[in-house]
Parts: sequence; structure tokens; C-alpha cells
Amino acid sequence: MKKISKLFGLSLCALGLGVFAQSASADVLQDIVKRGELRVAVQTQGPPVSFVDKNGERTGFAIEVVKMMADDMGVELMLLDFDWKGLIPAVNSGKADFLAADMTPNAKRTLVLSFTEPYLYSDVVLYSKKTQPFVMWQDACKEGVSIGVVQGSSNVGLLQALCPDSTIKEYAGGGAAVAQAVSADRVDAGINDFASAAGYMVEYTEFGILDGAPKRWPLSFATRPDEHHLLRWMDNYFMLIRNDGRLEELADYWMRGPVWKNDH
Amino acid sequence: MDWILDFYNYRVVGQYLPEFARGLGSTAWISLVSLVMSLSVGTVAAMMRMSANPIVWRIAAGYVQAIRSTPLLIQIYLFYFTLPALPLLGRRLDELEGGIIALGLNAGAYMSEIIRAGIESISRRQIEGAQSVGMTYLQRMRHVVLPQAFARVAPPLLGQTAVLIKESSLVSFIGVFELFGAGLVVLNERLMPNEAFLTVAACYLAIYAVMLSLTGYAQRRLGGTAA
Amino acid sequence: MTDVILSTLPFLLHGLWMTVRISLITIIFGSLIGAVVGMLRTLDHAVVTYPLGVYIHALRGTPFLIHLYVVFFMLPATGLSWLQLEAFPAAVVALSLYTSTYVAEIFRAAIQAVPRGQSEAARSTGMTALQSMWYVILPQAVKLMIPPMGGVYVIIIKGTSIVSVIGIAELVRAGEHATQRHPRELMVIYGMTALLYFAYCYPVLRLARWAETKFGSVRLPS
Repeated sequence: MKKISKLFGLSLCALGLGVFAQSASADVLQDIVKRGELRVAVQTQGPPVSFVDKNGERTGFAIEVVKMMADDMGVELMLLDFDWKGLIPAVNSGKADFLAADMTPNAKRTLVLSFTEPYLYSDVVLYSKKTQPFVMWQDACKEGVSIGVVQGSSNVGLLQALCPDSTIKEYAGGGAAVAQAVSADRVDAGINDFASAAGYMVEYTEFGILDGAPKRWPLSFATRPDEHHLLRWMDNYFMLIRNDGRLEELADYWMRGPVWKNDH
Repeated sequence: MDWILDFYNYRVVGQYLPEFARGLGSTAWISLVSLVMSLSVGTVAAMMRMSANPIVWRIAAGYVQAIRSTPLLIQIYLFYFTLPALPLLGRRLDELEGGIIALGLNAGAYMSEIIRAGIESISRRQIEGAQSVGMTYLQRMRHVVLPQAFARVAPPLLGQTAVLIKESSLVSFIGVFELFGAGLVVLNERLMPNEAFLTVAACYLAIYAVMLSLTGYAQRRLGGTAA
Repeated sequence: MTDVILSTLPFLLHGLWMTVRISLITIIFGSLIGAVVGMLRTLDHAVVTYPLGVYIHALRGTPFLIHLYVVFFMLPATGLSWLQLEAFPAAVVALSLYTSTYVAEIFRAAIQAVPRGQSEAARSTGMTALQSMWYVILPQAVKLMIPPMGGVYVIIIKGTSIVSVIGIAELVRAGEHATQRHPRELMVIYGMTALLYFAYCYPVLRLARWAETKFGSVRLPS
């Protein structure tokens, strides 16, 4: 028992490290201009949003948006690749200026980080092997049907609300692992955003996307809650590139079909 | 206690107690079953490894080296994605079964090397003594060699068990909910890494602490004093 | 399939190189720290052994990801400049400390397995405690350390995959990136990853096995 209480004592000490407050500068935008470098935390969750292409280059829709952003700022871009588990800490600890992922804001998340206005809306779709009897996505929401979803994604909660009767299996290995589970008959259907699913359709010709989209997620970048100037700047920037058509151009190329597969 | 809230919001963690309880229970159960399995597999593999028959020891050696040289995640994936329906079972292994068996077989390879060292450390005279009172090979192992061997190597077995408990989180790759997944729910819904990770760490530590005291108890019971 | 293997292999090899670098550095530092901690733990002195015991059990009882989180994200929040580590050094520090707990236990067990009479005899010839440790105890204890050490090293080599969380592209991460481009070939790519791990870990295990037979069998006196 003594040992156990000591162990907990030590874990409390570890907790204590957190008391030291983070020293934040007044305005991170000024820092970015001064250091001449924009530091962005990204997640390599897979094409077409953020991935490493066949030439070893980091690219994808979100990556191309921040590249354009850094160019227009006139600073260098430093991409910090963190796994999803490291993304939030990276921004909180000030290692990154903001995070650029296909993250959806919601009431609880915005308590912690400040999210930009959405730069894009993304449809959620279900897909399955064509041999399955499903036509509409609702057809998969039945008892006895299993649906695979990426662990920790917003689609988990969505699925629980939409298809409470289906068996939901969460896979930690990302969208590719869910597609593999569908292919290996471990689940009857998978759920993902339209753009990723469209990519799987090219690889797995035996798959088909079910009709209808149960949800349209807003996608945003996010920064620390006190970075008002940076947040305003990013919102402004999205407005500007939406106006001059550059955002649409990127979205068409990356998010509305698998054309990007030819180049990357 | 308010200063704690600045870096660890226990109120939020409290809202997720059901998830953490479910995750803790799942991890404890998966670890326990695969621990028992790994010790059984490990003991058999260790005895096979010490066999004079080259076919027998080569099979055991191949298993031990192959498992230890490749990552657990890939072993789990192999079990899950490529294994067809099993003849006796009449169906494929489900997520939990496949995950536990992969974990047990993985840890069994490491356990067998530790157990082998324990068996080899028992003096010949004891074995000869047991032989002279007419014990068979299995009786000698059961009553003389293995209890002492386990008592001697209890500390490294505990170390390996610690690895097993933590690596059990890899079953989340094939859709099994466990402790780390519970932490990820908090990270995902609330974007609170401290609350997610430190709670998970405390839960793992609690399981480890139980194992630590159990090991001490087992070591005394098995008669480490006879060494 | 062949073209997938050929096109992803360079990326995987690149990842393997990172795995080799980080694991070798870690094994060296972790073994050194572990050796010291393990030897200190054999001193029967509560002031020394107790805190070190807490160190070992606290690190072994918690997932490595959390150590990495504390070192890379929480320590910098203290504001101390020497705790502001970049990703690679942070990974090396966290992983070395983790490795040291396993090495320390192996050291302690091996040293304690050498009969007490040996060190007493050495001390009676006028050797200091350090001399008896270096010339008498350690040479015998090393034989007992080799087999378990090989096992721990391969666990550490494979455990390095977790550092990808803070953006270090090692072998598993490189494999993951490749599966994103070729989701259909997931098992092929993970199979290649497994083979590359095998190519690294198997020689380590053979080396331990060779050393084990060379330095004599592990038979404790009883």
C-alpha cells in the first residue's frame, strides 16, 4: 500500500508541472513577421486534406491553403507535423501559431480554442462494397449492420446519433484502416468525408458511395483563444481568397473529386 | 483546490467517468486474459526451447524470434485482416478475441525467454534429487522447477507485464474500446490534453500498482526463499 | 503490387534510418543511465533506493506517450530555457529515461544474483566498494544481463514508433503515409514495415544469443 501511495504522490508532482503559466506574447502576428516564419501545426490524416505525396512532398488542400497564406504574408512557412494527439498541445504550448486541419468547431471545442470562420464545408458520406444491398445511407442504419469510423473523429458522435441501431466500430488506424476493414468484410460500411471516400473509390473499384449525405461539417483552422488579431487576420484572409476565386480553385482540385491523384 | 483547475479540470474529467471506468475495465480485462495466456504460452515455449529434439526447439525458437523481431501492431493487423474463419470455431475471431490472442502470443515470446532464464537458473542437484524420488518430467517441472523459476524471475516478468498492459492499447487499431480510447474521447470532444493524458496515465499506474503488489505476494508464496 | 513496393520502399528506408538513429542514441544513453540507477539500487540505503524505486515504477507504470507529452509539451511551460527542447532531443530524453528503467532492473537483478561472498572476499583483500564492483561483481553480472538486455532493446526499437506523435517520421509513420496513398495495399506496406523491423531486430537478438553462448550459460549458484 505504501508503494502505491508513493506512486500517486509522484503522479501528483507530474501534474504540478502544469502550474507554471505559459508566457504568451501580446500579438503572435507581430512575432511571425519579426521572425519571418509562420509555424503551423498540421496533421497528416491522409489525402486529400493533408498527406505526403509520391514525391515525398507534403501537400493537400489544407497544406496548399497555408502555403498560399505564408506567401501572401511574405514569410517562410514551417509545417510542424503532429499526430492528432499532439495537435492541440502544440498550439496550447505555443510551439505552433495555429493549427491547420480539417477540424470542425463545436460548442465545447470553442471553449478551448478560437476557430476561424469555416473555409469550406465538407459532406459526410457512407460507402460500402457494391454487393451490399444498401442504396441510401439510411439503409446502413439498421440493427445487424456494422459501420467503421475513424477513432476520435467528429463522425463518431454523428454516427451514434444517426444510426443508434447499427454496430459502430472505431478504428485507430485512420481512414485507410476503415477502408481495409470494409474490404476485409470486418464491417459492412464505412463513413468518411466525401473527398477521402472518393479517393478510396479509385483504389477499391468494388466499393460504392451510398446516396445522400447525412451531414455537412464546417472546416476551420484554430488558434489560442487570446490571439484575436491572428484570428481576425485568418478570417479576413479566407474572405479575400474566396473573393478572388483562389479558394474555389483549390477546393475544386482537391475536394470535389479524385483529379489530384494524377499529379500526386 | 481551485488552483488545480487551471491545469487539470477534474470537473470535466468527472463528466467522463463512465468512459474512463469502461476503458479501465476493458484494459484490465484484456491485460489479465492476455497475461494468463502469455505466461502459459511462454512456459510451454520455454520448455520446448530447452528440448533436446531439434524440431521441437527450432519451432519454439522460430516463434520467439519472429514475434520479437516484428511490431505488435502488424501482428494484430495480420490476425484481424487476413485470418479466415477458423475450422473449429466456424467463424472468424472477433475484435476482442483476435486482439487478446495476438497480445498473448506476442507477450508469450518475451515471457518465454524470461522463464527460460529462470528454469536454467535452477541447480541440477535439485532436478537430480527430484528424479531420485521417482518424479516424472512433468512432476519435476510442476512441483520443483517452475515454482522456483517463477519466483526468481518475478521482477523481469513484472517488467514485461508492464509492457503488455500499455501495449494492450494497440487493440484500438482493430476497433476495441480501451483506456487510451477513453482519454481520446476527452481530447476529441473537449480538446483538453492534460485532462485526457494525465487521467489515462493515472489509470495505467493504478493497474501497474496492483500488479506490483500481486507480484510481491506471488514471489513470497512461490518460495523465493528456497533459492 | 510490385510498383507499390518499389515506389514506397525509398520512403520506408528513410523511415528506418530515423528509427535506427533514434533507437541507437536512446539505447546508449538509456543503458548508461540505467546502469548507474541499477547499481545505486543495489546499495541498501533507503535514501537512495526509495526515490529510485519510485522513478522506475512511475515510468514503467505509465505509457511512454505520456512521458513524451510531459517532456515536449509540459516542461517548456515552466519557462526555463534549458527545458525548451526540439522534437528530436525531446524524444531522445524521454525515450532514454524510459529505457533506463528497464536496464536498471536488469542491472540490479544481475548484480544481486552474484553471491554476497564474492564482494565480501574482494573487500577483504582491500578493494574499495567501487573496485570490487568493477573488477569482481560486474564481470560476472554481465553474463546474466545479456539475454534480457537483447529483449529490452528490441522492445525499445519498436517502441520508438510513438515519437511520430511529435512529428518525427520514423518507420511506422513512413508506412502510415504510404498506406494513405495506397489504402488498398495496407497489408503489403505494413508487411514491408515488419520485414524492415525484422532486418534490424533479428540481428540484435542473434547478437544477444551469440554473446550469451560465448560468455557461458546463465546458471546461478544456489
